[in-house]
Amino acid sequence: MIIEGTRSVALEPQRLYTLLQDPDTLARCIPGCESLVKEGDQEYRLKMKLVIASVNGLFDGKVRIADPSPHESFRLIVEGSGRAGFVKGDGVIRLTSDNGAGTNVHYKGEVHVGGTIAAVGQRLLDMTAKMVIKRFFDKVSEEAVAKASGT
Amino acid sequence: MIPDTFDYSAPVTLTEAIELLSSGAKALAGGQSLIPLMKLRLASPQHLVDLSRIPELSGIREENGVLHIGAMTTHYEIESSMLLRSACPLLPQTAGRIGDVQIRNMGTIGGSIAHADPASDYPAALLALDATVRIAGAGGFRTVSYEDLLVDSFLVALEPGEVIVDIMAPVDPPNTGTCYVKAPQAASGFAIVGVAVRAVKSDGVVSSARVGVTGLAAKPFRARSVEQALGGTRGTDADITRAAALVGDGVDANSDLHASADYRKHLAEVYLRRALRAALI
Amino acid sequence: MATTTTKSPALLVGQSLRRREDPRLITGTATYVDDVKMPGMHHACILRSPHAAARIRGIRTSRALEMPGVVAVFTGEDVAHLGPVPCGAALPGLRVPAHTVLARDRVYYVGHPVAVVVATDRYLAADALDAIEVDWEPLPAVADPEKALEPGSPAVHPEWPDNIAFTYKQEGGDVDKAFAEADVVVRQRLVNQRLIPVAMETRGVVAEWKPGDRQLTLYTSTQIPHLVRTLVAGMLKMPENRLRVVAPEVGGGFGSKLNVYAEEALMAFVAMKIGKPVKWIESRRENFVATIHGRGHVDYYEVAAKRDGTILGIKLKLIQDIGAYHQLLTPAIPTLSILMMPGLYKCKNVRADLIGVFTNCTPTDAYRGAGRPEATYGIERMVDILAAELQMDPAEIRFKNFVGSGEFPYQTATGLSYDSGDYAAPLRKALETVSYKTLREEQRKAREAGRLIGIGISTYGEICALGPSASLPCGGWESATVKIEPGGQVTVLTGISPHGQGEETTFAQIVADELGVSIDDVVVLHGDTSLVQYGIGTFGSRNTAIGGTALYFALQDLKEKLKKFGAMLLESDDVVWNRGRCVCMKSGKEVTLPEIAAASYRAMKLPENTDPGLVATRFWEPPNFTFPFGAHIVVTEVDSETGAVQILRYVAVDDCGKIINPLLVRGQIHGGVVQALGQVFYEHAVYDENGQLVTGELTDYAVPKASYIPAIESYHTETPSPVNPLGVKGVGEAGTIGCTPAAVNSVVDALSHLGVRHIDMPLTPEKIWKVIQDRRTA
Repeated sequence: MIIEGTRSVALEPQRLYTLLQDPDTLARCIPGCESLVKEGDQEYRLKMKLVIASVNGLFDGKVRIADPSPHESFRLIVEGSGRAGFVKGDGVIRLTSDNGAGTNVHYKGEVHVGGTIAAVGQRLLDMTAKMVIKRFFDKVSEEAVAKASGT
Repeated sequence: MIPDTFDYSAPVTLTEAIELLSSGAKALAGGQSLIPLMKLRLASPQHLVDLSRIPELSGIREENGVLHIGAMTTHYEIESSMLLRSACPLLPQTAGRIGDVQIRNMGTIGGSIAHADPASDYPAALLALDATVRIAGAGGFRTVSYEDLLVDSFLVALEPGEVIVDIMAPVDPPNTGTCYVKAPQAASGFAIVGVAVRAVKSDGVVSSARVGVTGLAAKPFRARSVEQALGGTRGTDADITRAAALVGDGVDANSDLHASADYRKHLAEVYLRRALRAALI
Repeated sequence: MATTTTKSPALLVGQSLRRREDPRLITGTATYVDDVKMPGMHHACILRSPHAAARIRGIRTSRALEMPGVVAVFTGEDVAHLGPVPCGAALPGLRVPAHTVLARDRVYYVGHPVAVVVATDRYLAADALDAIEVDWEPLPAVADPEKALEPGSPAVHPEWPDNIAFTYKQEGGDVDKAFAEADVVVRQRLVNQRLIPVAMETRGVVAEWKPGDRQLTLYTSTQIPHLVRTLVAGMLKMPENRLRVVAPEVGGGFGSKLNVYAEEALMAFVAMKIGKPVKWIESRRENFVATIHGRGHVDYYEVAAKRDGTILGIKLKLIQDIGAYHQLLTPAIPTLSILMMPGLYKCKNVRADLIGVFTNCTPTDAYRGAGRPEATYGIERMVDILAAELQMDPAEIRFKNFVGSGEFPYQTATGLSYDSGDYAAPLRKALETVSYKTLREEQRKAREAGRLIGIGISTYGEICALGPSASLPCGGWESATVKIEPGGQVTVLTGISPHGQGEETTFAQIVADELGVSIDDVVVLHGDTSLVQYGIGTFGSRNTAIGGTALYFALQDLKEKLKKFGAMLLESDDVVWNRGRCVCMKSGKEVTLPEIAAASYRAMKLPENTDPGLVATRFWEPPNFTFPFGAHIVVTEVDSETGAVQILRYVAVDDCGKIINPLLVRGQIHGGVVQALGQVFYEHAVYDENGQLVTGELTDYAVPKASYIPAIESYHTETPSPVNPLGVKGVGEAGTIGCTPAAVNSVVDALSHLGVRHIDMPLTPEKIWKVIQDRRTA
């Protein structure tokens, strides 16, 4: 599944880039994140709980940031598995100035799922992915607003 | 296909049910979504509270021009209710298009709207009907519009411990035309797109038009731009075509194995045209 | 001979009797595998790979073993001594991967069995599955057979990086000459998509080991109990007479239970290991990945013809998706497609190049029709494409090319000998039934009014009564024992293993007529290797044509013996058998069958050179296949706005030889057509690029529901087969074979004026809508 979209965030690219590299911020923004622990250089162990309908999906996985190009782009590789199956995502996040005080965040990546969610959850994958991304950027925007007004 | 272990209670009073649900139990209505999820072990509630024995949750009645449908009323009961067929035919028509006979015999309206599957059928009709929902909780009863209850896909504004008691819809005034049409997904019967229309004409002019759309987006919605475009027109074929073309504007349409976003938007327009024609012409 | 000339009108063969099987099935009193319950029975659940390809770096079972009720967990190492899951088909150069009962260091498809948990209760066993820890190293996978053939594609089995399981060529006549002389050549790529058989009853096994008797009993939902006995005994390295296999009631198979599966040997192993009976019932989720799939072809056809429509030559490049392993008959299935390539047409020049390709998917194998629906779809689509190219009527081009009714037996370019037929007859009947000329006129008018009406024809032939032993990897004969009991009732033990085909009824009809007994006095037993003499089983529309013929000959033997006893009792040499009685032609005196039966068992006196009792067993080897045929016409209307298709009319005219029971024949046609409509409009086993089956449940894999199915008008012509004395041919697969091309031809016909030439199945509304959009913008 290809995921692609653009969001605008009210924080200039330099500061937003730093914000998105900060594990504490990420932990607050990733929907259902229960813990995000640094495991190596640019590598974190992630535990998250995704609740959709009556489904309680606990995922244990890794988040890795690669190919950083400060203030412009980075690659995000996410791998997780749980009882419901496994998820693997790999995408590039690109930040461009909106010529004001904000940033246009363009994301494009591929998500692969396996196990039970792949076998029975096809109807919901697309909207779930959109929902997770939306909630993530909603939180990032909140953090950005707080950051922007805090200075 | 074997669920995890769970506890099971079947209270006979609403108070008892609310008490159990407040302590983290999960409500079981008709079980047509929850049980399959449990069998796949995607859902593993530790405690199920079966609502089927609570008398307040069942039955269909009319009171002062308002229809009250108990949350535990099955789709079949709604489909076959003579009262609803004459006073609010949109609901029986919608219920009759849900899944298959077995599902309609077991599934309930309350369970369906609490689960809030974005491809379920009722949301389109309930949005078109301006339905309201009465909810019971530890603090008593509250009533909300169905549109406000619906937050997102699979998400409704119910607090832990709250139970949907009944769904309320007005009796159709004279000169009301209604219609529900859907493109069912061949395997599950869920709506790839479902469109419900309720339109009232007075003196040959559309005085009110309500359009509910399900399956198209992550959240079923009221197509207000379509409603506005129709209001005040004579509801001719040209009016309908013009208005229906607006249904997909700005909508982030779902896309999955069964239908692309483009096809869904196209279907929504085609079906809306057909539903409007049936309701207005 | 007197017996056959004095038949009374009460004969049952040819009558529409209701199935005697149905009351128990409808009232829930039938015994399926899951109804088998035994004292001390344990339950097994199987851990399956969620990955299409992965290395197993390690498996930890200790946590599972500590769970309540769990008595054992076995992994690949524990069953390494068991023989491989067998592939019975042999082709030159066939690559056969080691197919162990449980995966060892690597998995090759989603659903690959990895470990088995045994517990006192099925729920506890399922709980313990979650506690087995497998350290996976996911590997690249390939699910598309054409991609698997591309260089650099992941190797399903590392030892064969090209993913080729086998290649096979067959040629007849002079194809190059035919193409050189042709006025026109049409080419088309046709996909016959992967399907999931979805028998209503999933598979299941109960295994019981009696150490004192050294006897193992396996209850398994199978179409071939005796072959399962032979092959599972081989896997277990156990003498065959120590293993009893019982196929109790079987809730549908459609070929998916014409197999030997890992779980059958695995449950036998478990029962022997724990010393208790054990049951495994496949869940629907498992069924979708652990039981074989069907079809899975990509076909590249070329047809050469003269301008007048005469078909000169056919070329086919057939890519068969094998899946990760060969199951029992996997490589043989596409070779059946090749045999049927010319269909009912006189074309003597054919060439087929078949490539079997490994993919990281569930193995494919026989599914209702097994190779013949694919072949018929191919030739019948191509004939329509050719007709369109030549602007000929699709009925006319068929009449032009049919093998003539005077040409039988007809030798085909693929080496078959068609037994009998009048191929034009069903087509004529179907055309008359739909008033073809008027219908074409209506279609033209509807088109002018903007409506999209299509008329689709298929004329199919099939190979049934599989088959002569030389053509199969196992024997192709069948067996029957008929016992007249001392009280005069009749017990039939048949080597076939019916599971819905209704032979408890049709065979009893044959017995009642031959012996002159009441059908209520006939019991037909099957499916238990300790009860029934060896038999081959039920597949390839063979039950009546081969099993029925074995029965027929056993009945003739018994009649001879009845006459000997009758002659002795009547003290006359001049006796005849007449509908349940032995009659003396001189005196007119008679003895009844019960009287003879009693005397034969009492044995106070015996005819010369005659043993007591009335039992006869016959094994019958068929000299040829049989070749049923027919014509289906489908009228459809396409909704131009949504792409949805409505079937306005479905007419089937089938010739399955002599009909024993018209009701059951119609039932088979209906069932087959419904399954085929599933393929045409709804069903598709979809794998994503990583080998995940994304239609993994009935919520996403659409089988046709009753409300989706139009009225099916079923008619017949009746051309007896000379291959067997009953004149029967077989009908179990005809519906699936005749339907798919007729339905697709119909939808393509509805859109032909827009320039549409072909659409691959399933014909989903969106696909059709897109085609219409593309043509309109083109």
